[in-house]
Amino acid sequence: MPLRCEDDTVHFEDTCAVEEALTLTEHLREHPGARADLSRCTYLHTSLAQVLLAMKPEIAALPGEPFMARWLNPLLETPPDSPGDGLVKVRS
Amino acid sequence: VPLTRLVHAGEDLLGIIRAGDAELTSEMVDQLLESLDHVSEWIEHLSGQGELPAGVVEESQKGVARLRALCPGGKKDGAEAGEAAADAKLDLEWLQSVPEDDLITAFSRAITGRPVTAIRYTPATGCFYNGEDPFNLFRQVPELLTLHTRRQEPWGNAEAFDPYVCNLTFHALSSASRSGEPQHGFRYVLEQTAFARMKPEDLICVQGSKTSGADMSKFRSAARHSIGRNDFKSLRAAAGLLLQDLPADIWEASALRWLAAVLDAPLPNPLWAAALAESAATRLPPDWAAATALLASLHAGASAGKTAVSPLLLHILREQERILALPAADEEQAHRRLVAVTAAAMNLARSSGRTDLLEVLAAVQAEEAGEAGQLAGILAGWRIAAEAAQSAAASAAPEAQSGGHPAEMAARKMLKVDQAKVDMLMNLIGELVVWKNSLPFLAKRAEEVFGVREMAREIKDQYTVIDRLSQEMQGSIMQVRMLPVSEVFERFPRLVRDLSRKLGKNIVLDVEGEDTAADKTIIECLGDPLIHIVRNSIDHGVETPEARQAAGKPEAAVIKLRAAQEADQIVIEVSDDGKGIDPQRIKAAAIAKGVIDAEQAERLSDQEAVNLIFHAGFSTAAEVSDLSGRGVGMDVVNSTVDKLGGQVNVTSQTGQGTTVRLSLPLSMAVTRVMMVEACGSLYGIPMDAVAETVRVPAGRITRIKQAETFVLRDTVVPLVRMSALLRLPETGGDDGGDKAVMVCRVSGTVFGVVVDCFREGTDVILKPLDGVLSGLRGFSGSALLGDGRVLLVLNLKELL
Repeated sequence: MPLRCEDDTVHFEDTCAVEEALTLTEHLREHPGARADLSRCTYLHTSLAQVLLAMKPEIAALPGEPFMARWLNPLLETPPDSPGDGLVKVRS
Repeated sequence: VPLTRLVHAGEDLLGIIRAGDAELTSEMVDQLLESLDHVSEWIEHLSGQGELPAGVVEESQKGVARLRALCPGGKKDGAEAGEAAADAKLDLEWLQSVPEDDLITAFSRAITGRPVTAIRYTPATGCFYNGEDPFNLFRQVPELLTLHTRRQEPWGNAEAFDPYVCNLTFHALSSASRSGEPQHGFRYVLEQTAFARMKPEDLICVQGSKTSGADMSKFRSAARHSIGRNDFKSLRAAAGLLLQDLPADIWEASALRWLAAVLDAPLPNPLWAAALAESAATRLPPDWAAATALLASLHAGASAGKTAVSPLLLHILREQERILALPAADEEQAHRRLVAVTAAAMNLARSSGRTDLLEVLAAVQAEEAGEAGQLAGILAGWRIAAEAAQSAAASAAPEAQSGGHPAEMAARKMLKVDQAKVDMLMNLIGELVVWKNSLPFLAKRAEEVFGVREMAREIKDQYTVIDRLSQEMQGSIMQVRMLPVSEVFERFPRLVRDLSRKLGKNIVLDVEGEDTAADKTIIECLGDPLIHIVRNSIDHGVETPEARQAAGKPEAAVIKLRAAQEADQIVIEVSDDGKGIDPQRIKAAAIAKGVIDAEQAERLSDQEAVNLIFHAGFSTAAEVSDLSGRGVGMDVVNSTVDKLGGQVNVTSQTGQGTTVRLSLPLSMAVTRVMMVEACGSLYGIPMDAVAETVRVPAGRITRIKQAETFVLRDTVVPLVRMSALLRLPETGGDDGGDKAVMVCRVSGTVFGVVVDCFREGTDVILKPLDGVLSGLRGFSGSALLGDGRVLLVLNLKELL
């Protein structure tokens, strides 16, 4: 399983495909404080990236793969649009 | 509506190409031609049946989609054209949030002549279900310069968030150098993407806080001074120094960094430099219009003459850039091209007095294996600077431009005239020419019958004047009817292209002398024979690229279409460098088809064998036996050209190619005939059939079996008697005196015709025999003579 959901951390490993998007969403909904560790991720499907951008979990480690490091990291560090446009965190 | 939509799509594509935003590719041409075919088909249908054929809507939509897909930056539908402006704004707006470093990188690529393409990709919301992965599509974009991701709609409530609805939109820049390359990765999602070629100045985007209040006024005046003197080195140094003192995140620093990027180009663009220097001081986005005016005023005082850039220079620069950008077949070709372009650029620099450039170019040249990119950069910089200077000069002296374009203004005065009217006029002039010939008769009568010698001379004087005038009139009415052969030639590029694509052969069409003019009738009749010939050349003559390579010929065959005027004939040659005609195979086919027998074949020379292809009935033989020999339709060619009074020649060398040569009269209106008297009446013989006239003593005529012959300059010439040809009773009888012999040449054979006596040559208007006479063989037609008699003009070919 490329996506390993522990209670406080979600580990992204190797190729993370579109099927995991719902799992990730549910997990983040249930564990609002969970962090994302992308250090060992080599391929992240757009849908997963979108979940990260929308739900803004705390990023424990950024991906090291060059393409993502170049084009995704800036987004994860500072979300794409103006601050505060993430999801309304109902339960936090 | 489906029709116009398709036409508009085509127009848009052509517009983009003309604007230079896209390179014309073979694919585009195919698509455009196909659309054109569709449209003409539909129009035909529409005019014939009053409605469009079924399925036209789908066909049109498909065509539109394909054309749009080829449009770089193309919109999905013409209806979206209004959106284009908004799109451009959107593009600029997102650039604001792209890191400045990325933009500067993109900019420096753009000013060195690399195309920078902006990509906007808004995936469909359901795209994840189609297995699409938008973000990672960009992994395939070559030379990705920046990728900007943003959401389409606000994210909304966490509970309602659906991870399978794509809510992202992407903007990217790529400097992939080959056109179509950035688009390649998006070929399955073209409807959701838009591409636009970015102009370098569009990338300039100054960012940063505007609240620092740094004092830029000193820099501003220094910059103006430097730009006015084209002293970019010191401006660059000043900008570099100032940058060190300014905090990196303020507006001024950003503007200066951009200024530095502009100045780092091999040839800085003064317009951009001026705009950025101003922007640094005013803390407003760069204003190109204001900068143009500023630049013009700066230059106006300094060197008014120098700023005038000839459009030719610009044109040459663009052309050289284009050559550089062409894909090269191999290393060597690329290198040769580079050397050539460098040399051309050096010449340009020399002629425009740019010694600074000359040094740079010399350095490139010295490097031997100079890099194309470097040279392209220099050229692009030069062109951009020249363009800027030109626009500056234009705005400095608008009045100079306002009177311009005299060539375009002076629209040609054209008159559209019904062809029948011209024909009528020509007939009248023809009559005049003929009737003018009656004046000498009149003069003769005045002298002989009425005995007024004085009067006769006066009539003759007047005759010369009328003769000259009528000749001129005749000449100019001919000119009216003359059409250039380009009327016929212009359909060949398409034909050759289509056929060569279909047959997988590589063919270059070389057209020469297309402005050679000939009479309308001739030109109109030429079309079909030429198509036959060219098609034969492509089909049978030109080998496949593999076969050509094996034979040691260049892969691309050349078909030459050449028209020229030779005396009063128009000569059209179609030659190819294909495999030629094999006389042996022609002979074999001719024997098989029963055109000739084996014994005859033995005696035929190669050239005669080649001529067999004109034989009626031979065409099918070649086709059925699947021989490579030309033959399809060649007898049609022959008969058409014959009807026009022309000739066809084929020369062929096995392995070297074939040349088909058509020679036709320039004009058919007036025919020159030789008048002869035979059997008590007057006959005309077309002058082009007459080789010479001789008087032969009866004693020199020898009889070989049934046929009479005589020897003319060591050649045996067969003799026929006119009376025998016309089946009329002999009048003169064999009185043993000299015989008047007209030596004629008809389709290559020479023979003598014995006539009673020769009369003068004259111009006549040949009227074909019609009505009950039309069935008569042996006559080309009749003509009216100056004294009112009717002259029958013989067709020797038919008589023999």
